[in-house]
Amino acid sequence: MSQLTYGNINDKVVNSLDPPGRSWMISMAVFLLALGMGVFALVIQVRHGLEWSGVNHPIAWGVYITNFVFWIEIGHGGTLVSAVLFLARARFRNSICRASEAMTVFAVMTAGLFPLIHLGRTWLFYWLIPYPNQREMWVNFKSPLLWDVFAVGTYLSVSMVFFVLGLLPDLASVGDESKGLKRFFYRIAAVRFRGTNHQWLHYVRGYLLFAAVAAALIFSVASIVSWDFAVSSLPGWHTTIFGPYFLAGAIFSGCAMLLAIVIPMRRVFPGFEELIKVEDLEGVAKMLIFTSLIVTYVYAIEFFMAYYSGAQFERAIYWFRAFGEIKQSFWLVVVCNAIVPIALWFKKVRRNIPALFIISLVILVGMWLERFVIVVSSTAHGFDPFAWASYHFEWAEIWITIGSFGWFFMWIFIMVKIVPFIAASEMKERLMPPFRKRK
Amino acid sequence: MSKKDFSGAWATFEYLDDMCAAIGELKGEGFHQLTTHAPCPRHEIDHALGNPQSRVPFATLAGGLLGFGVAVLIITKMALDWVLPVSGKAILSIPNMFLVAFVFAILIAVYFTIGAMFLMILRDTRRHPVPCSRRYRDYNRFMRDRFGIVVPCENNELEKVENILKKHQAEEVNLES
Repeated sequence: MSQLTYGNINDKVVNSLDPPGRSWMISMAVFLLALGMGVFALVIQVRHGLEWSGVNHPIAWGVYITNFVFWIEIGHGGTLVSAVLFLARARFRNSICRASEAMTVFAVMTAGLFPLIHLGRTWLFYWLIPYPNQREMWVNFKSPLLWDVFAVGTYLSVSMVFFVLGLLPDLASVGDESKGLKRFFYRIAAVRFRGTNHQWLHYVRGYLLFAAVAAALIFSVASIVSWDFAVSSLPGWHTTIFGPYFLAGAIFSGCAMLLAIVIPMRRVFPGFEELIKVEDLEGVAKMLIFTSLIVTYVYAIEFFMAYYSGAQFERAIYWFRAFGEIKQSFWLVVVCNAIVPIALWFKKVRRNIPALFIISLVILVGMWLERFVIVVSSTAHGFDPFAWASYHFEWAEIWITIGSFGWFFMWIFIMVKIVPFIAASEMKERLMPPFRKRK
Repeated sequence: MSKKDFSGAWATFEYLDDMCAAIGELKGEGFHQLTTHAPCPRHEIDHALGNPQSRVPFATLAGGLLGFGVAVLIITKMALDWVLPVSGKAILSIPNMFLVAFVFAILIAVYFTIGAMFLMILRDTRRHPVPCSRRYRDYNRFMRDRFGIVVPCENNELEKVENILKKHQAEEVNLES
């Protein structure tokens, strides 16, 4: 990092906020089109009901719950990079922490939509909130659905505050570098932050505490989401391994999404290649290896537990997953999440940016399918063979899923043009400060 | 001393060690109400200022305890007010209560932390006056690549402060009286 200085870090970051170019406009148009498809399908579904989704008896949870789990866990991966690696003082975090914090906020915003979409009568969502009402009827705190309301609500709230708090020094930087109205607005957004010792003292301590509570929160939220499944008595779901399994899967998919976002941005913005080093991406790739090993272990141990327990229903569900109707999805999961990441064991692959990008996309596909297999297989193949069924995708849920990606990336693209994509103050912390007498 | 009648000096530095040395000498001469500027947090500055401690963690703890307590009360009240018997399960379930209370504790702790941070920054900023001149307000390199010190002092001490700052290679020294 010898060529980087405090000044040129600022320049590179501020330059990325220049008015958007043609590629940004085209990408945004694509995302808005995807979002439009999703909104259109949602309107149709709200008008006609959940018959327009693949959800049916006995498969009461389908693509929407798959999407909910997928997106919430993308968010967890972001928090891990921004909060847990901050506590661990991992140096590769500094250049990608802003992207991961933004990813968390937007992923949780996306995830939060799906339980509402899945409700069917979306307009009655407020029944989930414990508000005083005429009949003095309260919500049921024993329901996992309500745990989700509190967990996801808190997670969104904490992630947003964490994201905004991290932005303050950089907004102040951009305000100082700007002129006219832009300077005025950025300075207001920075709440008069000017890097005084009093500001840094409380800011740094507050940020550390935020990181600590956010780290505790991802463990609890990942566990709560896993207990949506594990507290039921369905075969394939009722298992104590789900908490750590979901957490590892969350970090795995979150890191993959982070690479999928950061790698194109690194290419598009001039100067970002110097800030986001290959070593930083390699650090994320190593986390992919670690979490891939955990999920691979869980895939194997689930089969072993089904066999060793002697429970016929458990054995049946795992046989169904591997050799039943959804076997293609299951084996794709194994290939994408357990076999493809083996390539990352080689340093050459870890440092090859296009390879890293492709592997991260493959992992994202694998992780979506993993959630789909978990969600659908147990309800499709429960205790009673009379009630077994198949899941059929309907166009509305496919469009809504595409729309969710449009929604997520639309926010990411808006964000990169409004606030610094790289945390300049954290990058400066990583540098040796200017000393007259060399240390 | 109100902000409007600020009297003192402020200087900018290119090098961190110069500024830390200036802080050391200014403190030695009895100037303790210093405000420093830096583009990013540096421990060297904290050491030079005497390692001040933030009390924000107390607010976080208070928020966490309050959030946990409030959640327990809300859940207990609701469970007993609208009884939902589900087979043989407890009407008031402790494990379920813990889940929501833990999350709620974190939520309130976060808001207490952010509130305490801003209040403490505001308090410290009020206690340590800074110039209100246009030149100081419009100086735009503190968040970029320059370090700075603001030294409030009486008019008769200005020369002494200026000399200390210049001695430590201050890039520019501005006197305000």
